[in-house]
Amino acid sequence: MTRTISVDHLARVEGHGGITVVVDGNEVSKVDLDVFEGIRLFEGLVRGRTIEDVTGIVSRICAICSHGHSITSLQTLENALGIQVTPQTRRLRDLAYQGANIESHALHVFVLALPDILGHPSVISLAGQLPDAVKMALRLKKLGNAIQEIIGGRAVHPVNYVIGGFGRVPATDELLVLRGMLQEGLEDCKRAVEILRTIPIPDFVNEPIRCAAVAPEDEAFFFGENMEILEGSKRIKIPVSKYRTLTNEHMVAHSHAKHSLYESRSYMVGALPRLTLNGSRISGLAGQAMKEFLKIPCTNIVMNNIAQAVEMVYSVEHATKIVNELLESGTVQEQPVPYKVHACSGAAATDVPRGTLFYSYEVDAKGLIASADVITPTAQNLSNAEDQLRATVKQGLSAGADDATIEQRLAIVARAYDPCISCSVHVVRAS
Amino acid sequence: MKPKIGIYGLSGCWGEQINILNCEDELLDIVGAVDIVDFLGGSSVNDTESRLAIAFVEGSVANAREEKELQHIRNRSDLLVACGSCACFGGVGAMDAQVSRPELIKQVYGNNGPAKSWDIGPHKPLSEFVKVDLAIPGCPMESKAFVKAVSSLLNGDVPLLPTYPVCLECKMKEYDCLLVSRGLPCAGPVTVAGCGARCPGYNVACIGCHGPVDEANMGSIEKIFEQKELPMDQIKLKLRTFAAPVLDKERE
Repeated sequence: MTRTISVDHLARVEGHGGITVVVDGNEVSKVDLDVFEGIRLFEGLVRGRTIEDVTGIVSRICAICSHGHSITSLQTLENALGIQVTPQTRRLRDLAYQGANIESHALHVFVLALPDILGHPSVISLAGQLPDAVKMALRLKKLGNAIQEIIGGRAVHPVNYVIGGFGRVPATDELLVLRGMLQEGLEDCKRAVEILRTIPIPDFVNEPIRCAAVAPEDEAFFFGENMEILEGSKRIKIPVSKYRTLTNEHMVAHSHAKHSLYESRSYMVGALPRLTLNGSRISGLAGQAMKEFLKIPCTNIVMNNIAQAVEMVYSVEHATKIVNELLESGTVQEQPVPYKVHACSGAAATDVPRGTLFYSYEVDAKGLIASADVITPTAQNLSNAEDQLRATVKQGLSAGADDATIEQRLAIVARAYDPCISCSVHVVRAS
Repeated sequence: MKPKIGIYGLSGCWGEQINILNCEDELLDIVGAVDIVDFLGGSSVNDTESRLAIAFVEGSVANAREEKELQHIRNRSDLLVACGSCACFGGVGAMDAQVSRPELIKQVYGNNGPAKSWDIGPHKPLSEFVKVDLAIPGCPMESKAFVKAVSSLLNGDVPLLPTYPVCLECKMKEYDCLLVSRGLPCAGPVTVAGCGARCPGYNVACIGCHGPVDEANMGSIEKIFEQKELPMDQIKLKLRTFAAPVLDKERE
């Protein structure tokens, strides 16, 4: 006798998705992570648009990742055009990424995921039990937004990022505002670590996680020219320009969604993979928290929430360092690096809060986009999430869990990826 | 009893729901003044049937499932507020493309995709399907505009939204005119205000994300842009990025 366990409409994720599992006795015959978000077709829509217009359009793929989409799009164009941006530009973009990471992780860990772990339907109900934790999370979220607002001109869909640099470089008094907020943010991070100590992390699935992330060249954790994927203890390097050999996007019959497999097996991108590959570079309070909470290699996918919290602390500390250095050296009101339009092509990857984001463009001689490819973290994670959902059901059934418990666990596992369904432009509704 | 409200997202980037959550300073006060009973983006337990005082809806209608959901929201709500440019004007999902939507699907998903079974067509604004009581434009809707709308509506009033162009806010901030003195193709003259002239404040030309101002003279701005040596096809694409369906309607 087969039966179906399903989560019809996944709550507390960005976008519209559901989970369907078909069980035959104690065997799992089917696991689908369905997505019924409307088709958005960005890669087709931007064809024929100018290189100056394209970034403002692709930003709209996703609100919460809009700084990541914008800056990755610009880096792709800069790589294609052969532009070198200044160290100041690189530094300010790194700062914006810390803001995005703080905002996104504070939102996901404390507003979207924590209610699950503590058995609340929403953050509103959670605020009744832990009002100070919720206020702390909102303050950190606000700090992340303030960084994005000051560097990018707007927290959602930034306006200040242009090819070769910035429309306007942030002024000293704006950086001073950030320094004050970051000092308070560090105090909130200490509180966050205290709260983490009191939270029992669900431990119902034990399954290896194959990790991939951008290989950072310096302390800028989210930027690099190569990807790394961890096979056992071996690190395999793949140049970003050859990212398709990693992502191998293909159609799958069951869900009408493009999936990614590297050498026929799924992989994961995101906070836990980043810390698995590069966590040894982290020091300070984040480094201590990492040692205390994360055992690497980690085989409990729910720990991605904790990895996000550790990264949030890292981002507050790293942002503080950047702001202090910028204030010490002073910022220069420099113009964006000039460029001449020519036929060219390029690719770039950066690690955004949910994992590695890949872009590539072909540009024609008039400076119009001839083709575009965008591969979001959530699209890459779909295959891996299905593997983890399958393991969750299998291990749940063999431990004697009932269907209602398994259904609850499925939602927790799916949410642990912090899926951004609006973002996965490759993914369409299953009929 | 506190008024019941619902918050919904159709197809889009989630920008309005994010900007509602971005009202960090006001969020707990808002929760104190209203009862958010249906908000799938924020809660796993929702009341999907009872009568609502206000429904806030972001995103555009991209398929039959969303059209049905929107009808259901309308039927149970006293007031329906369209939040953001996708809900108000169709947004980026409705922008012009070089080829038809079925061809676009082939470009993005290849020839092997089961394209026939997918819903196709440009995204549409809410007003194509239901009565919209208040439209707050913006890509994204500004957080402040949401707070203002909530407080006005709770007091039985309709918020006054700007009916003038971005240029007015730009002049009040004494920014240099990018169109006149820098020769940049700035859409400020035909775009409705409400953003505080964000882009010009960063020396960046307005891209029209708040949608067209009432009685926008598109023919005139196209001619001005043409003098900046932009080809007409690019000018039209640029000016129709966020509100193509509404501009088409005005032309009819």
